[in-house]
Amino acid sequence: MRLCVPLCGLLLAVSANLHAEELPVGFDWLEVAAFAGHQTDYSGVFVYQFGNQVETSSIVHINDADREYEKLESLDGPKRELIRHDGQVWSYDHDKLVQLDSRQGSNQFPSLLPEQLSALKANYQAKLLGVERVAGYNAQVILFQPKDNLRYTHKLWIHTDTGLLLKAAVLGERNRIVEQYAFTQLQLGGKVDRSWGGTCDLADMHGKTLATTPEAAKNYPSTNSGWVADALPAGFNKIMEILRPMPGKHGPVTQIVYSDGLSAISIFIEPDDHDEDDVDGLSSRGAVNLYHKVLDQYLITIVGEVPPHTVMQVADSVRYNGK
Amino acid sequence: MKQEISALMDGELFDDDVGMVMDHLKRDHATRMNWATYHLIGDVLRQPDHIHSDLSAKVHERMRDEPALLVSRGHAVKQKMRTFALSAVASLSAVGVVAWMSLQISPEIAPQLAMQQAAMRPASMQIQPKSDNYLMAHQEFSPSTDVNGGASYIRTVSYGIDDSPPKNNQTEKQAK
Repeated sequence: MRLCVPLCGLLLAVSANLHAEELPVGFDWLEVAAFAGHQTDYSGVFVYQFGNQVETSSIVHINDADREYEKLESLDGPKRELIRHDGQVWSYDHDKLVQLDSRQGSNQFPSLLPEQLSALKANYQAKLLGVERVAGYNAQVILFQPKDNLRYTHKLWIHTDTGLLLKAAVLGERNRIVEQYAFTQLQLGGKVDRSWGGTCDLADMHGKTLATTPEAAKNYPSTNSGWVADALPAGFNKIMEILRPMPGKHGPVTQIVYSDGLSAISIFIEPDDHDEDDVDGLSSRGAVNLYHKVLDQYLITIVGEVPPHTVMQVADSVRYNGK
Repeated sequence: MKQEISALMDGELFDDDVGMVMDHLKRDHATRMNWATYHLIGDVLRQPDHIHSDLSAKVHERMRDEPALLVSRGHAVKQKMRTFALSAVASLSAVGVVAWMSLQISPEIAPQLAMQQAAMRPASMQIQPKSDNYLMAHQEFSPSTDVNGGASYIRTVSYGIDDSPPKNNQTEKQAK
């Protein structure tokens, strides 16, 4: 996808066809960004900031005949690399590629399902805030303000030509920045340097099949565990419930995912292995909050890009409703 | 006197002392205020959903009734400073009360208190690197991955964990 400029217009036509009803202002940009994130070739450097920490990383993303290749590399601290290809994730660990995860149905487009879109419209208010410059490119600024205090405000800077997300901030109470990341330097389209840096050469990897571990290669079976959460915020629809392997766990773990279109909440349920290191209670990294608790011999873990009190509210309402 | 009031609330005071505290409650306004505050704290801890103390309307009403003060600027500033100092003292002592209460109240209330405190300090604890697998598993299905692309995976890769101050960990444990 080297012709980036006409993409946006084409894309608007595509999305207009996909949805009989016209998307409201702001929400259409979300769909454009989701499409562009998969389709655009880009490479650049971005900073990620949360709390009092700032991290710099480089990223290369190439879409070649609808196959996505992506490499994320930390530029400060210990060297970490993450490679994503067709929805699967590998990490470079001591010069060895380790498969971390595989994402089911990676090529699901449109990424905004109709029920998610209606959840979005019902729970967020979108505002266009004008055009600003990010990394030398013009970006449309859009604010998604939640209608309750159970989710964060999202502020997005989307490239006016390609629809690529250039900067994103998550805001909490009183518009305090919870986390943000922004490109500081970016090449788009044909200008992407395909041989660019790192221990794993993307150009080298191009066209080759990366090794997949047998358990990651197959799709996780969906399940109906009987576990429910009663106090999910409005608009969080269940996306899936799967039984999945997890590194470091003896048996499979049940994962239930809910989403309101902008953020997601995952509930993990597994037999409690009485691991003292699993610290009970709340911890966070940027916008993501995690809550561990033990319930009837099960370890319940809630993860979501929602405020701490929302994660705790969900955790408190988890119960077993099966036979 | 604060300890006695709390003990009285918990029914842990000897009969002789009860009389003494009751006497105090009758005579001393500050003690009565403490009594009321402790009950409010207890209620909030037990049933946070049922406490609706919207003070803004009352404050608004009082402000309207307040006479306009025509005093020199210097005096007004001094006055303000004093109010600030007083309210600072008040909030400090409120923190003290809550911390002290956490030692006093029954064990089944203590976890609730810890949770409340966690809610007040959202970024208190960093996610442990060993929990990265949960973040990774969550990130696969989060819509933020679609919009933000690979950059959203930055959350799942913990570079800077060594910098996180370990002392937060301790306070969390103490709170429990």
